[in-house]
Amino acid sequence: MKRTITWAVVLFAGAALAQDFKLGSKIDDFTIQDLAGKPQTFSHLKGEVTAIVFISVQCPVSNAYNDRMNALYKDYSSKGVHFLFLNANSTEPAPAVAEHAKENGFAFPVYKDNGNVVADRFDAQATPETFVIDHTGTVVYHGSIDDSQQPARIQNQWLRRALDSVLAGKPVEKAETKAFGCTIKRVRKSL
Amino acid sequence: MKLFAALALGAVALLAAPDLRCQLQSMDEDVFSRTLANSGKVVLFDFWATWCDPCRAELPALVKLERKWRGRGLVLVTISADEPEQEVPALRFLLKSGVRFPAYVKHVKNDELFIDSIDRKWSGALPGVFLYDRAGQKAASFIGETDNTEIEKALGRLL
Repeated sequence: MKRTITWAVVLFAGAALAQDFKLGSKIDDFTIQDLAGKPQTFSHLKGEVTAIVFISVQCPVSNAYNDRMNALYKDYSSKGVHFLFLNANSTEPAPAVAEHAKENGFAFPVYKDNGNVVADRFDAQATPETFVIDHTGTVVYHGSIDDSQQPARIQNQWLRRALDSVLAGKPVEKAETKAFGCTIKRVRKSL
Repeated sequence: MKLFAALALGAVALLAAPDLRCQLQSMDEDVFSRTLANSGKVVLFDFWATWCDPCRAELPALVKLERKWRGRGLVLVTISADEPEQEVPALRFLLKSGVRFPAYVKHVKNDELFIDSIDRKWSGALPGVFLYDRAGQKAASFIGETDNTEIEKALGRLL
């Protein structure tokens, strides 16, 4: 009996670690940290539409999007979209994230996902990688911001298209794309 | 004097330009399939880019692995995900790292399908290293920074 309970606990812990915020599924509340280390919850930060963007201090692909992220924030915040820019890299502590945000003139706050807990729940792999959550709490878009690191070669503004659709109450035509960039530098977890 | 100037100019040109015999070749869906089909080799595909620090850190170790296991049938195939304007720096880095050619740059028709065909759990984020057995079947994926000993363990099971 004792062994059964032990295995049940192990299985439950394993299930909790697996991806559970999938495209098309509803998400639960989660906690991240502001750059002063204070916990913040999704339920308090979310809007009618919320864009979650995993970003990096050091990744050149993520940095290639700094101006585009500022423009997205400016263009869509005024339409009611809330943005959560998250840094889940274990190699990039909060002071470095704050300095990077200041250097790059980010108009938006950046949060830390300590222990990449939220990245694990979304199964986010890259920076930059985005998720759009609608008013029901459902993941309606997952993928890249657009289709080229080089602004001159952009053919599809995936995130803008998704946000426009959700704001218009329409389904997202292209709900999933590949998020290219650098892998998220996760903490090593012992089993 | 003219001869000296010509030699000097030639030397400068050699330093400035990579070896033209070693150009990056295009890797598309067909080339990828052909590389695997009937190769009879264990193939380690390394997707990398000049902007990817962990990729550049890993590549020399992968070259060493290939040298160690080449005699038993290992081939390392590098595929750069660089933009066109970075292809010359990519080539220079490959030459400096002692990579065997041909080496490739990714120019696929459909990036999403290509990435999915390699590993559905891979987003295309770098680094990405993929090991295929002699029959052309994928044996292991190493997504993100990977300890070289993990790759060597997987190789040991195939070679």
